[in-house]
Amino acid sequence: MSENVQGGWRFGTARWIVLAAIILGLFLFTGFFGVGLGIKPIMPEVFLPGEKLSEEPLFIIPFVGPFYYTNTMTGLLLADLVVLLIAFGVSRAVKSGKMALSGMSGAVEALLEALYGITEGTAGKWTKPIFSWFAAITLLVLASNWLGLIPGAETIGLIHEGHGDYAVKDLFSIGSLKVQTIWDETDAAHEGEVAAEGEHHGAAVIPFHRPVSTDLNFTFALAIVAVVMIQVFGFRSQGMAYLTKFWNTKTLFSKPIFGVIDFGVGLLELVSEFSKILSFAFRLFGNMFAGAVLLFVIGSLVPVFAQSMFYLLEFFVGLIQAVVFGMLTMVFMSQATQGHGEQHDEAH
Amino acid sequence: MEALGLNLPFLLVQIVNLIIVYTVVAKWIVGPIVGLLEKRREKIAQGMEDARVAAEARANAEKEAARIIADAQAEASKVVREATERAESAGKDVKAAADAEAAKARDAALAEAELERNRILGDLRGQVAALAMAAANKLVGEALDEKKQRALIDEFFSGVKAGKVIVVDGDFKGDAAEVTSALPLTSEEQEAVKKTVSAKDFSFKVNPSILGGLVIKVGDKVLDGSVAGKLEGLRQTLK
Amino acid sequence: MEAAAAKLIGAGLAMIGAIGAGAGIGIVTGGAVQAMARNPEMTGTIQTNMILGIAFAEAVAIYCLVVSLLILFVF
Repeated sequence: MSENVQGGWRFGTARWIVLAAIILGLFLFTGFFGVGLGIKPIMPEVFLPGEKLSEEPLFIIPFVGPFYYTNTMTGLLLADLVVLLIAFGVSRAVKSGKMALSGMSGAVEALLEALYGITEGTAGKWTKPIFSWFAAITLLVLASNWLGLIPGAETIGLIHEGHGDYAVKDLFSIGSLKVQTIWDETDAAHEGEVAAEGEHHGAAVIPFHRPVSTDLNFTFALAIVAVVMIQVFGFRSQGMAYLTKFWNTKTLFSKPIFGVIDFGVGLLELVSEFSKILSFAFRLFGNMFAGAVLLFVIGSLVPVFAQSMFYLLEFFVGLIQAVVFGMLTMVFMSQATQGHGEQHDEAH
Repeated sequence: MEALGLNLPFLLVQIVNLIIVYTVVAKWIVGPIVGLLEKRREKIAQGMEDARVAAEARANAEKEAARIIADAQAEASKVVREATERAESAGKDVKAAADAEAAKARDAALAEAELERNRILGDLRGQVAALAMAAANKLVGEALDEKKQRALIDEFFSGVKAGKVIVVDGDFKGDAAEVTSALPLTSEEQEAVKKTVSAKDFSFKVNPSILGGLVIKVGDKVLDGSVAGKLEGLRQTLK
Repeated sequence: MEAAAAKLIGAGLAMIGAIGAGAGIGIVTGGAVQAMARNPEMTGTIQTNMILGIAFAEAVAIYCLVVSLLILFVF
């Protein structure tokens, strides 16, 4: 806390805002010298699946099952909205005929230019079709990740009675709409203890918005589409010869021992294609979900200032994971187009 | 699966959504931006090419300029050399002409001066004769026959008497004869000398210091018939 | 021992596998930084390959996380 002041009493605006925020945090969350409010920080419940916001299914897909509206769906729609806005902004800016874009579309252009350079270095003549996937995946994941960082995400939602273990407190009401909050009334002895199974007697918040990349459905959907498209690019570039990557009988009879090994490697390649789906899906999901939990936990342990640092970290991780997802897709696609030349053995 | 939150309807919805997003991004973001990138690269490449061409043109122009300057210098030095040569030869010509002119003028002046002197000396001859006669009258005390006297004086001065050269005898043969007299000879006397001395060219000179008579030089022979020479001979014998 | 406590301990133990991923990512990044310092012109290629290598190393940690989550929420 004090390190913000260490830099000297200069009259910059930003450092005074930071200092004021720290003091406000201290006032809210501690009994500091008896003047603070002493609000106890909430340790939220961790839900792995996206929480259902609607009790009734939104619609039922025939032969598949009911579809509920979950809070990750809000995240998905918001991410789609952001991508659409970027698309409109960029296409309008490009149509205006400027050589260099400015503002939001300029930032998107700078990001995509860097990604395009990487793609050109790897994909060669397949750059254009592969880059479309690279850009689409990166932009969607980036929008989704960063939307989880806006204030209100995962904190504003419906109070769900009989689920968590916190008391409900009315704040105020607008017409028939009651605005409530959950309130920790336990003693210090029980502080931070997550409710055990079957002991739900209080209330919990089901947030309206949760970033969609913390939902396995989204990451699996991305991974499945990416891996399917990798195979599509393989077939487009090599035709049926692409299949020999998995069913390699070329050297089976000419080289007695190594032929068998090559055949086995081909089968392993087939396995690795499926493991790509898993690793794609769980890498993004794990990073983002762990990031969200990390923010909860840090926020509940040290409610003042410490979380800001992790916010910056999550900001960075969100960008890195988006680019990594896109870049891995791009690299696998280019490898599929290049045939047997340079195969990495991704045995993970 | 349910505990991990995976459910098939949601997965399908996500896949459909992803395909929609891909279409949107590919059409409205990637397309325009890649087009923009390529246009910009083209423009940059064009700019580089233009700069290269311009640099080449500049280098060529510099080379051309250097060549033109070298040519001009060569031309200029050639012109200067030619001009110098021409001036030198012209100067030589002028000098030679001037020299010739000067020589001619000097010769003419000399000849004129010679003529003038001869004329003056010729005028003097009569007066000298008169003076000599008056002196002789006083000396001898009697008046000689004036005609005789004049002939005598003429003879003294010219060494020619009655159409014959008396001061010299002998055979003179040669190409050029130089006849020196104390006073200019008359044309009759010159004829007499020419008759006596056989030579192709005659030049007559006047030298008052020989006092009288003639000195005739033909080829490498000199015949001294002058009064000064006779006086010198007398002085030698009297010694 | 209660089953719930055993689950929590097991989930924590599962994450021990992240040590390997951490060491691996460190080695990959260290090698990449050395390579970039020696040969700065190759920075782009090295970065791409570094991110690939990190992704593969991280996959191990992801598996640990998945197992841990499975223990906590599924079983």
